[in-house]
Formats: sequence, C-alpha cells, structure tokens
Amino acid sequence: MAGAPLLVSASASAPPVTRGHPVWRRLLIAGTVVFLTIFIVLPVVNVFTQALSKGVAAYTEVFTGPAADQPPRNLAEKRKLSTRRAQSEKTASAIAMSVGVAAVVVPLNILFGLMAAWAVTKFRFRGRLLLIALIDLPFSVSPVVAGLIFVLLLGRTGLFGAWATNFVWPDPTSIAWRGFGGGWPIGFDRFNSGIIFTPLAIVLASVFVTFPFVARSVIPLMQAQGTDEEVAALSLGASGWRTFRFVTLPNIRWALLYGTILCTARAFGEFGAVSVVSGNTDANDTMPLRIEKLWNEYDNQAAFTVASLLALLAMVTLVLKTLIDWRAARSARRDTGATLQAGPPS
Amino acid sequence: MVAAAKRRVIPGFGLTLGYTLVTLSCFVLLPLGALAVRTAQLSWPEFWATITDPVVVAAYRLTFGASAVAALCNAVLGLMTAWVLVRYRFPGRRLLDALIDFPFALPTAVAGLTFSNLYLKDGWIGGFGDRLAGLVNSAGASLGYPALIPSDSLGWLDFAYTNTPTGIVLVLIFVGLPFVVRSVQPVLQEWDAEYELAAESLGAGPFTTFRRVIFPEIFPAWLSGSSLAFARAVGEYGSVIFIAGNIPGKSQIAPLLIVQKLDDFQYAQATAIGMVLLLASLAILLVMNGIETWVRRRQTA
Amino acid sequence: MSIEVRGISKSFGPTRVLKEIDLRIETGELVALLGPSGSGKTTLLRIIAGMEHADPGGGSVLFDGQDITAQGIGDRRIGFVFQHYALFKNMSVFENIAFGLRSKPWRSRPDAAQIKSKVDALLDLIQLGSLAQRYPSQLSGGQRQRVALARALAVEPRVLLLDEPFGALDATVRRELRRWLRRLHETIHVTTIFVTHDQEEALEVSDRVAVMRAGQIEQFGSPQEVYENPASPFVFQFLGHYNVFSARGQVADAPLSAGGGEGALTLVRPHDVVVSRNGNDRDAIPARVLHVGLVGPLVRVELERLDRKESIDAELTSEASKELALKPGDSVFVTSRHEHSFEDYSI
Ligand SMILES: Nc1ncnc2c1ncn2[C@@H]1O[C@H](COP(=O)(O)OP(=O)(O)OP(=O)(O)O)[C@@H](O)[C@H]1O
Ligand SMILES: [Mg+2]
Repeated sequence: MAGAPLLVSASASAPPVTRGHPVWRRLLIAGTVVFLTIFIVLPVVNVFTQALSKGVAAYTEVFTGPAADQPPRNLAEKRKLSTRRAQSEKTASAIAMSVGVAAVVVPLNILFGLMAAWAVTKFRFRGRLLLIALIDLPFSVSPVVAGLIFVLLLGRTGLFGAWATNFVWPDPTSIAWRGFGGGWPIGFDRFNSGIIFTPLAIVLASVFVTFPFVARSVIPLMQAQGTDEEVAALSLGASGWRTFRFVTLPNIRWALLYGTILCTARAFGEFGAVSVVSGNTDANDTMPLRIEKLWNEYDNQAAFTVASLLALLAMVTLVLKTLIDWRAARSARRDTGATLQAGPPS
Repeated sequence: MVAAAKRRVIPGFGLTLGYTLVTLSCFVLLPLGALAVRTAQLSWPEFWATITDPVVVAAYRLTFGASAVAALCNAVLGLMTAWVLVRYRFPGRRLLDALIDFPFALPTAVAGLTFSNLYLKDGWIGGFGDRLAGLVNSAGASLGYPALIPSDSLGWLDFAYTNTPTGIVLVLIFVGLPFVVRSVQPVLQEWDAEYELAAESLGAGPFTTFRRVIFPEIFPAWLSGSSLAFARAVGEYGSVIFIAGNIPGKSQIAPLLIVQKLDDFQYAQATAIGMVLLLASLAILLVMNGIETWVRRRQTA
Repeated sequence: MSIEVRGISKSFGPTRVLKEIDLRIETGELVALLGPSGSGKTTLLRIIAGMEHADPGGGSVLFDGQDITAQGIGDRRIGFVFQHYALFKNMSVFENIAFGLRSKPWRSRPDAAQIKSKVDALLDLIQLGSLAQRYPSQLSGGQRQRVALARALAVEPRVLLLDEPFGALDATVRRELRRWLRRLHETIHVTTIFVTHDQEEALEVSDRVAVMRAGQIEQFGSPQEVYENPASPFVFQFLGHYNVFSARGQVADAPLSAGGGEGALTLVRPHDVVVSRNGNDRDAIPARVLHVGLVGPLVRVELERLDRKESIDAELTSEASKELALKPGDSVFVTSRHEHSFEDYSI
C-alpha cells in the first residue's frame, strides 16, 4: 500500500460539469459501472455467496466446531467428527491470533505515529525530510521482502540469530495470579523461546508493514495547522501534555482515527510478510494464513467463511472511512467558518 | 540527523524524536540493514548466478510484465473512473466512490481467493458462457422450446483465467485500482471549468480540449498514480499466489520464488532475489519522483 | 512590571535579524513597536515572550530587573495575542478564555464557580457576553481579536504582548478597536507592547513609540517627540509624507535650506509647505502647479519646481486654496513653514 493519497473522496464540492456529448457520457458511465462491478462488486458478493453456499449451519461450524447433537455411531464417523473439530479449533485459534496481533500492533502504531508526527511537525531540524521519507519506506517494500528481512535478521543463521534463538519471552496467555508472598503477585506460567516462527515474529512483521499508517495520515494535517495554537496554550501556562491533549489532539482526531482504521485493516489482512515468518505452523496461523491452508486442503467453503469475516471487516473499514471523510469535511468547514465569516463587530 | 543544541519553545523534542528514531531503527532500518549486509556477504558470481537463473529470470519477467500490463490497464480504466465519478452525477455514484477504496481495505488473501474462484472453469466469470447457455435453455424449456441452443455454444464467453498469466493481471488490476483513481480525483475536483470554457470558446472541440488543456493538468497525478499501482503490483504476493498456478518457470512470480527459497533454507538466493525486488521498487519510486518534479518545473517555468 | 531588553541579537542562519537591541519599558506603559515589514518587530516581541531564543550570548530580557532569559514561555506569565489570533478551534469562546485558568497547577487552580465568574467578567469587558458558547469560526474578525485578548488577560499576565493585533481587520473596525484597546489599557494598566506597521495607529494609541529599522531601534520616544523631532530621515519618512527640499551637494541652488550645510538633507511635510502667488520671500522656490485634488477638508496640490524639475506635494486648507484659486499650469512660489534638517545623512 504505497503512498496513496489519504482522506480524499469525491464529495460534492464543485458543481459537476455535465457537458459533452450525451452518448459519450452514457458510454463512460456505463463503462465505469461495468468495470467496478466486475472488479469490486462481483468479487465481494462471491465471497459471501461461497461462504454461505452450504447454509448458515455450515458457516458457523467453520469456527464454532460441529454441533454434537448425535453421538458418532462408528469409528469412521468418530474420526470424521474429530477432524472437523480439530479443523474448527485451528480456525478459531487463527481468529484469536489475528485479534491478538492487531491488539499489539495498532496501539504501537498509534503511539509511534503521534510521536513521529510531533517531532517532525513541531520542530525544524536537520534531516527532517529524510526522516519523513524513511517513515514512508515500508510502504515501498514488498511484503515478502518484509518477511525476508526479519528472517535474515533473527533467523537461525541471521545476523542476530544466536541471540534471537535463545530469546525467552513469556506466553501472554499464561498470565496468572500467584498471590502475595515473595516475588511478583502476577506472573507467567509458560515461556516461549526464539523469535522467528513464533507469534512474536508475526507482530514484528506486522509492525513493519503497518509502520507508516498513523504517521502519514496525521503529519500533513499537523503540518498545515502550524504551531500557533500550541504556543498560545503554552503561553497560557499549560503543560506540554495538556497542550497535546486539549489543543493538538482534538484538531487531528479524525485523521488519527482514519490512520488507526487503515492500520487495523492491514494488521488483520497482512499475508506475505506474516506467511514468511510464521513457519507454516498451525499454531501460528492468522486468518489470512488459515485461508490459504483451507484453500490448499480444498475446503472451499471454510476458506470463504474465514474470508467473509475479513471482507466484513473491510466493509466496516469502508463505512467508517466514509463517515470520517464526511465528519472531517464538516469540521473543516466549521474550523474555517465558511458560513459565518463576516459578522459585524458587535 | 543531529538536532542543533538549543532550547526549544515547544516541549517534547528529545522524547518524541528519540522515540521515533529508536523505533524506526529497531523495526525498519535494522532489518533492512540485515538485507544489505547479507547481500554484501554474497560473492558477485554467486549473486549473478542466482539472479540469471532461467527460473528466476522467468519469474522476474512474469512479475514485471504482468505488473506493467496491469498498471497500464489501471491507468486507462482508473482515469475513466475518476473522470466519471467527478464529472457526472448518476444514481449510485457515491456508493461507487466509496467502493474505490475496497482494494485497500480487503486483505490480499481474500482478493486472491475470490478472484481465483470467479475465474475457475465453473466460476461465475470463468464459466459465464456455459451458465448463460444454461440459463437460455432453461428459459426456453419453460416456454416449451427445450435445448434452444447447444449447451457449449457460448463457450467463447467463458473467461476461465485461473492459473493463467491473465488471471495474475486481473487480480493486480484489482489491487492497484485505487491508486490511479485517488491520485487523479482531487486534481479533477480542483479543476476550474473556466479553462475548458475558454478553450471551447476559442473553437476547440471536446477532444482537443481534453488533450491540450485538461490532460496536461492531470498528467503528473495520473503518472504518479500509475507508477504507484505498478510498484504495488511488483511486490504483490498474497493475492497472486491463489490465481497464478505457480508452475516454476511458467507462472511463478518473484515473491513466491523468495518464499520457496526460504522454505528450502537457501537464504543466499532468497536474499539476492529479494534485493533485486527491493531495488526495483525503490527505483520505480525514484524515477516517478524525478518525472513529477520535472513536469512540475516545466509547468511553472 | 517593567521590561528591559539588553543587547539582544538574533540571527536566522547567516542573516542577522536583530542587532544588539536595548529597550526599557516602564511599568504600566503602552508601547508601540513600529517599523517596516521585515524590520524584526515580531522577532523582538517573540523573544520577549520566550517563543524565540536570542542568539547564544546575545543579550538578556529582564522583567522588573530580574533576568528571565532562561525561563520557559509558560513561566513568564505573559499574555500574547497572535496576529491571526490562534484561537483554539475546537473550543467555544468560553472554553478558550477559561483554558489558561484550567491549566494552572491544581494547587492554585480556581474552582469551577470562580472560573465561571472570572470568564463572565472578561466577556463583559470585551462586550461579548452573549457569544460565550460560539466557536471561533462563528465570530467576525474583530470579535475573534477581542476573544484572543480576553484569553490572554484571563491568567492575569504581568505583561501583554500583541503582534499586529489589528492587522487582519478592515479600516473601520481597526479604528474602533484601537480606541477600545486604549481605554482597556487605561482600566487595567498592564505593561503592554504592541507591534504595528501603521504609523497612525502607533501614534494615536501608544504612550511611547519605538521605531525599528533593519533590526535596530532608530528612535524611542513619545509620539509627539518622534513626530516632531525625528532622530533620522528614516523616522521622518516613515511617519508620513514628506518632500525633499535639498540634499547632498545641492545646497547652492536650494535657497530654502538656509539652515543646512554641506551634506545635509532638508525634509518638509506637505502641510508645512506654503504656496503663494508672488515671490516676495527671497528664499521662495518658483514652481508650477501640476494637479489640484480635494482630499476631505484639505486640498492636495502637486507642484513641480522650475529649477530642478522635482515634484513637491503640498497640503493646503480649503480656505487657503480658495484664496489662491490654483489651476494646473499656474506659476507659484513655494516656501516652508517648518522644516527638518539632518546632517550627513543619505536617504
Ligand atoms: N523562522 C525564520 N527563519 C528565517 N528567517 C526569519 C524567520 N522569522 C523571521 N525571519 C526573518 O527575520 C526578519 C524579521 O522578521 P520579523 O517577522 O521579525 O519582521 P516584522 O518586522 O515582524 O515584519 P512584518 O511587519 O512583515 O511582520 C525578516 O527578514 C524575516 O525574513
Ligand atoms: Mg511581524
């Protein structure tokens, strides 16, 4: 997702120029509608149709597991049931993995985006433009290369391979209450070692591919707004944090939300980078990886079911984006006061 | 990137710049550095042998060829789409406009999955002719004319492109679609209709007006949108592997080759192939920036 | 609170924008910083406010004799009004004014009721009580200006600094607000510096005027002093229209410049030019009328000296002009009522 212009859409700003020959106009409109139908509408509709091709029960079975309404009558049936159950457990764990990765990656990205935007827009320093360009860099790196570089850095024979293979980190799902009395009251019961081919690597790769999202949606706005309001707040005695919280943040909230949403969508959807570092282990599967596995196993309906969840997320993303565009346009209109510009001094 | 040693009026310079630099170094620069270091460790013959291997060359050819074709299609279709969305009003316009961003939001694996399914022999588009024939025949049957047309007579309307290079191009068009539209759209929106009226009042027809007056104005944005679509397509992996067929030397794209080399623990070869890919995408962006600057300078001069 | 600026220098890269400025402003004074665009007024004001730092080793700023050069902007207790107001877009007028009070450390922070009564009092002061819930974008330029002022006053600043406070307003609103600022200053009496490049504004409003030129203070004095005894031709020229009656090396054929010697420059304001039909005075310059125009109560006459083909502007009262009945092409004689001579100056 290289440098796409963010926060633009054809809102009704200028009246349309509906001139030109009507035949041409109709042809062009028809061409566009057909093009977008074939390339966007049909693929999406297909996702949901295929996912529901075996009915609603089959759809939910993909991640909730087969309903045990009848005990298996013979060994073959029992084996089949347990395979289906195992499959659905893997799918459910892939969903959990995706949610978990996003829950780590998105806050990190927000924090980084705000920090970087503050540094880059509120101060002048040498190398500032270079820094902005470097923040954008991950967008121009192929996802597979993004995975590759982490393998080269942290893999067994990587640059920091020796350190990374012995790296021990607590399993976040094993957190438990230990009670007072010696040491920490809360601790972990299980530990993982290594980085590549563990969920940690998935987080790292996802951080890399989502790196610029929040920063690049917030920076242009903060740049345009200058520093006068912040300096005014500081001169009134406000602390740096208060200035950020009550003056800067409200001014950039829509752009921030927008970047966050795109970042979330990408964190859930990343495939190439994650597939390289996840090591083909079922336990490390995220939803996109699970889709590929199901597809390879010729379980079309299950693959499409997982895909439909992601497509749903994409649709939510689009709806939110449209709402934000609309809100941002409205609050921009409010901030510039196009409506009530010239009141007389009372 | 050393800050001048002086006091700043706004607080937080040290903290935010420090955090930014540390994060950027750990998560981006260090890993990319690893790629550079590993490339430097390769001997030149080894590097050259890897990237001139026939299988690798074929993969590059497919990657860049399909990406170029897809970018060209996007350049034309995206320009048309942007034009229609900005200039004309018709029912459903706003919905279509919102849908343009769908390829940004939809995970690539989902796109690949659904495209490969659509263009299968029995998919909606891959089997379009057969389905149409079936439809005609069943309609005919209900009117009392069974077997109106031979059931395979519309075979030329089957667009079964799964596992072909055309399929790759199709899914790459999907992936790159928003870039051109979203680059050109704001320029068209800002466009002042008075120039057009002026041109027409001077006797220029609509095509001359478009070619001589409007197109030069949107050219930089159009070019940069198309190059972004191209750059994106070159690196694309998730969507392509579902539809490509992945036969070595035939329908295997370069990113897939990297994945396979990694699976075989051939890190040196993966590094070489990846480095070429990375350099290619950086080169595309550099060239694009250069052209844009050049065009802008020529316009202001 | 008196403000003292000692030897302040400031450079942006290679260009020196302020050159060793010294300035002392007494408690309760209202001082105008006047100068052409780019002369460094804003920079000086921002250095006093702490928004910009002087060059290392480049002087100090003192409030009441206390060196505050090292203090941060939030600790100086200044009220600053920006040229474009910098009101917080996302806050109502009330919240804007209350912001400074709510930002105080909790120990000294007034409670909600106190804040409300304080803000209400300020709203009354700026006569905008009915607009408390509006957002900045819903205000006119003049109203925004006053909200910005009230916001700065809310924290009871020790000094008030205004950067071209009326710069973005049209002429009538400007004149009105100018008087209002004068009256406000008489009520609250806080030491105030305001930047302007409008000489009329500076002369009308301020107690003292500092005229700046290219990073230096050319003259600092009361409006009357500055207007009547300009320290340099630059000040003279900057404060109004003028005629050059003689300049370097042209004394011999310039009979008017009786007081000037070699290398001197004599300047005369248009309203000090006397036009007569007969050249009784032996210093009178023969001239020809080019154009006669009415400007309100005054008549502006454009003349050309016959000896040097230079133009002279004169402003006559309408009675005087009626008496003379000037028409373009008439031959007249010109003398001056009052003139300023500067030694060894080039314009
Ligand atoms: N941040 C900056 N970087 C570089 N040069 C600057 C900067 N700020 C001001 N200058 C330069 O310093 C000089 C003085 O600027 P300043 O803003 O103080 O002028 P001013 O007297 O306020 O003018 P105006 O009446 O136009 O506002 C100008 O030549 C300006 O170009
Ligand atoms: Mg200024």
